[in-house]
Amino acid sequence: MKALCWNGIKDLRVETVPDPTILNPRDAIVKVTMSSVCGSDLHLYNGFVPTMREGDIIGHEFMGEIVETGKDVQKLKKGDRVVIVSVIGCGECHYCNSGTWSLCDNSNPHAIMQEKVYNYSTAGIFGYSHLFGGYAGSHAQYIRVPFADNGAFVIPEDIPDEKAVFLSDALPTGYMAAEMGNIKPGDVVAVWGAGGVGQMAMQTAYLMGADKVIAIDRFDYRLQAAAKYSGAEALDYEKTDILEALKEATGGRGPDVCIDAVGMEARSTGIEQYYDKTKQVLRMESDRPAVLRQAIMACRKGGTISVVGVYAGLIDKFPMGVLMNKGLSMRGGQMHGQRYVPILMNLVQEGRLDPSFLLTHPMPLEAGPDAYAMFNDKADSCMRAVFMPNM
Amino acid sequence: MAIIYPDMYKNTGKDHTRMPKKSTYINVKTTERILSVAGGAFLLYSGLRSVGRNPVTAISKAVGGFALIARGVSGHCPVYEQIGTDGAKSEAVNIKQYFTVNKPRAEVYQFWRKLENLPLFMRHLESVEQKDEKYSHWKAKFSKNTPALSWNAAIVKERENEFIGWSSVEGSTINNAGKVEFRDAPGGRGTEVQVVFSYNMGGGGLGSGVAKLFTPLVENIIREDVRNFKQYIEAGEVPTIAGQPSGRD
Ligand SMILES: NC(=O)c1ccc[n+]([C@@H]2O[C@H](COP(=O)([O-])OP(=O)(O)OC[C@H]3O[C@@H](n4cnc5c(N)ncnc54)[C@H](O)[C@@H]3O)[C@@H](O)[C@H]2O)c1
Ligand SMILES: [Zn+2]
Ligand SMILES: [Zn+2]
Repeated sequence: MKALCWNGIKDLRVETVPDPTILNPRDAIVKVTMSSVCGSDLHLYNGFVPTMREGDIIGHEFMGEIVETGKDVQKLKKGDRVVIVSVIGCGECHYCNSGTWSLCDNSNPHAIMQEKVYNYSTAGIFGYSHLFGGYAGSHAQYIRVPFADNGAFVIPEDIPDEKAVFLSDALPTGYMAAEMGNIKPGDVVAVWGAGGVGQMAMQTAYLMGADKVIAIDRFDYRLQAAAKYSGAEALDYEKTDILEALKEATGGRGPDVCIDAVGMEARSTGIEQYYDKTKQVLRMESDRPAVLRQAIMACRKGGTISVVGVYAGLIDKFPMGVLMNKGLSMRGGQMHGQRYVPILMNLVQEGRLDPSFLLTHPMPLEAGPDAYAMFNDKADSCMRAVFMPNM
Repeated sequence: MAIIYPDMYKNTGKDHTRMPKKSTYINVKTTERILSVAGGAFLLYSGLRSVGRNPVTAISKAVGGFALIARGVSGHCPVYEQIGTDGAKSEAVNIKQYFTVNKPRAEVYQFWRKLENLPLFMRHLESVEQKDEKYSHWKAKFSKNTPALSWNAAIVKERENEFIGWSSVEGSTINNAGKVEFRDAPGGRGTEVQVVFSYNMGGGGLGSGVAKLFTPLVENIIREDVRNFKQYIEAGEVPTIAGQPSGRD
């Protein structure tokens, strides 16, 4: 089959590789109909997540059709149209049982490797480095889905592909970002990053009772989408003093909930950008925490910081004194999609959520390298490029 | 058995008291020191060579290279110190592992006690044959390039639903002994399992014979095999990516 493989920093190639096979009794094989790029892939693309190997197939936000099931798969059958959660969960461990699927004890074949870095291991993720299991990703014609009964959800007929595919990752991640913010009626929610994840956080924040959502980014087309589709007020961090503008927008109180939907490749302005970029390139700091610092400063006293933007390792100049003295709460995590997909399917069916505007660039798999270059540069008003590997 | 087995019941909290705390102490043998410097130089070289291409693995290789060189030059190995082995004097390796299984204690105990189950998920065990209540015959293969090993073991101490202790019998190629304990986790969180395992290849640490290829490798293998127990009994399978496609095929 054809697959998009990582071969080094900014070096992706479409290659012919063997078809996947069932390796474990709870596996299923899915014929991929749509597979989206995601901001998390950019951390691999730009070389900020360690333990990638040349030849690894990337991609983790996808849907398709079941073509084969292992002997212990019970709920799914050949021909089912399914969307698959990016994070893999066994469904039997304490973490899966308590709904925290991305903390699964039993889905990461490289648990020992992760324990050396994080002291405990977390769940495996499709196409997302060997630290997270080394699973082959979805930018391919076929993919093997472990613990398929938990991770693959049959899509109701009235949800079309261009909505369903984002139930795999962007939607549950945005939803979890808002949920971790513990939003109460009347709250003002500020969201850094108006990519797919940020947009979904904005939409779900309203569903959870937010009075006002503020989007922060520097790309005009993304800020416009935030205003048009997600009902947000938009702030350009290159043209505005964000701390000042957030006070102005909240009667001087500051946002109640601050969501980081940017992560470790955050850009900042002025000297801070040079400081973090230099340290990151020299590997003295693995992640650039500009958004995290700003969110902590901006947040109202006693407010909540919710982190879904991905960090991999260490950061520097973390304003701990501000967090502590202002009495802030901070939460983060990879999303627990298996818990959210059923809720989100309902909301999409009812028309209360619509992620389809994220699909700006449907593309053949052969265009993979160009699609990533475009998505990385935020060129051609790209929100998300979505591959159709079997078209 | 020259190794720590009897002490394991004392629960001293510390396996090794014989290592001096000073970290310049020489615990690496001469041949091994030469191997370390050579291996370190290679890692450093290949690490630095690929910096442009893949900085992250490159840097970790380079760091590994530095560590090996340091070990060779100084005669001190921080890794040996960590696992409590003194490569210059004794070859016993001790492994301790703790995990919680989301299942009732009796079930977890029974599953382990049926030793024939172990090769289902301990990938490096070829078979375990229970001869009678006490004695069993074990076969293992740790890597493609090393010969298969077999030994006889005896259950030396056990209490139902609480612990099982075993030891290889006199004259085994791989001397080993261990104990696994089962306790109720608080708040209905299943069963806490603690495994203590100690083995001795006979004939030197990293620097000599088969064991040269073995010591660090085997420790990881055993740790993974023990983890597989939890994965298998909870999830019904051990996660794997062996056999999946990639651009390397
Ligand atoms: N936690 C999870 O489970 C999970 C799942 C999916 C994605 N993610 C992470 O979420 C983040 C966003 O993903 P995405 O797909 O939306 O990515 P994206 O690349 O499409 O969007 C990121 C946006 O952040 C903006 N940005 C950069 N620096 C900024 C700054 N200083 N202030 C405000 N905005 C800034 C960029 O301009 C861009 O629009 C990534 O870090 C991704 O890895 C996490
Ligand atoms: Zn993602
Ligand atoms: Zn689990």
